[in-house]
Amino acid sequence: MIKLLNPSNIFHFAGKILNFIKIFIMPIIIIGIIFSLFLSPKDYIQGDAARIMYVHVPSAWIALLSFATISFLCILNFIFKIKSLSLIYKSIAPIGLTFNLIAIFTGAFWGKPTWGTWWVWDARLTSMLILMFFYVIFIFSYKFIKNTEKSSRICTSISVLGLINLIIIKYSVNWWSTLHQTSSVNLIGETTVHFSMLIPLGIMCIVFLLYSAMIFLMKYKIETIRVKKRSLKKL
Amino acid sequence: MILNTILMDGYGIYVWSSFTLTFLICLFLFLKTKKTLEKLERDFVKEIHSLSNKQIEDLKKQKIAKEILVSHSRT
Repeated sequence: MIKLLNPSNIFHFAGKILNFIKIFIMPIIIIGIIFSLFLSPKDYIQGDAARIMYVHVPSAWIALLSFATISFLCILNFIFKIKSLSLIYKSIAPIGLTFNLIAIFTGAFWGKPTWGTWWVWDARLTSMLILMFFYVIFIFSYKFIKNTEKSSRICTSISVLGLINLIIIKYSVNWWSTLHQTSSVNLIGETTVHFSMLIPLGIMCIVFLLYSAMIFLMKYKIETIRVKKRSLKKL
Repeated sequence: MILNTILMDGYGIYVWSSFTLTFLICLFLFLKTKKTLEKLERDFVKEIHSLSNKQIEDLKKQKIAKEILVSHSRT
């Protein structure tokens, strides 16, 4: 497993996987957009405004998934001191931040026609905003703290605190009375979204995941070259 | 029909804005990442050329350095 995480192994496969994704991503984007904007039915209450779900929901999921992965990697790195893990979490963080931003903005665009307001300080929205701050502080910590040992410790602390926030985000709609609706798509429980809407949602999730994988591989290459450049100076 | 698709019963402005904004943010991140990667690869190759032949040979034995050189030569 640790051998698989070896930077040279990942770097070797990054180029090949990138080329593979580049071939498939555009057709899937087009199919996703056609389904989301034209083929999926209107919601019986929200009408066409519900189409925002196809970009809002996958963005929010990826933002949460990215931070959960970062926290997991930071904790692993803190316990086992596997340096290559830092390259991975540094490559994931900008993707998570981007999708967090998208989730907040598209949420505002969805909120205006359905709630009558762009923003409200309810538990779900506020905890998503806090997650964005966690991402920003996390990125600043590894960018501006030069001492790797210290930066790794700070990153781990931020990610663990952020993990608590992830739990708050997940259950905020159940714990408090919020304008934001409760989960409609559940892996374990009942999914209340109709199949005709689940298909475009699924396709858009695949699109966003492929895009994230593509950016991750490019970012990973960047981080690896930076390390290599530093080692060149020592030659 | 086309106008209906664009206007979406008055929700069009919110739906199209959401999709456009998402697309633009993603495109910006992609282009910025691509530019940084290409610049770093160029700088890396430049730095390699300033090394001695012996150092270059040593470096070529390293898998990652070799990959960077190969991917740079393709672009």
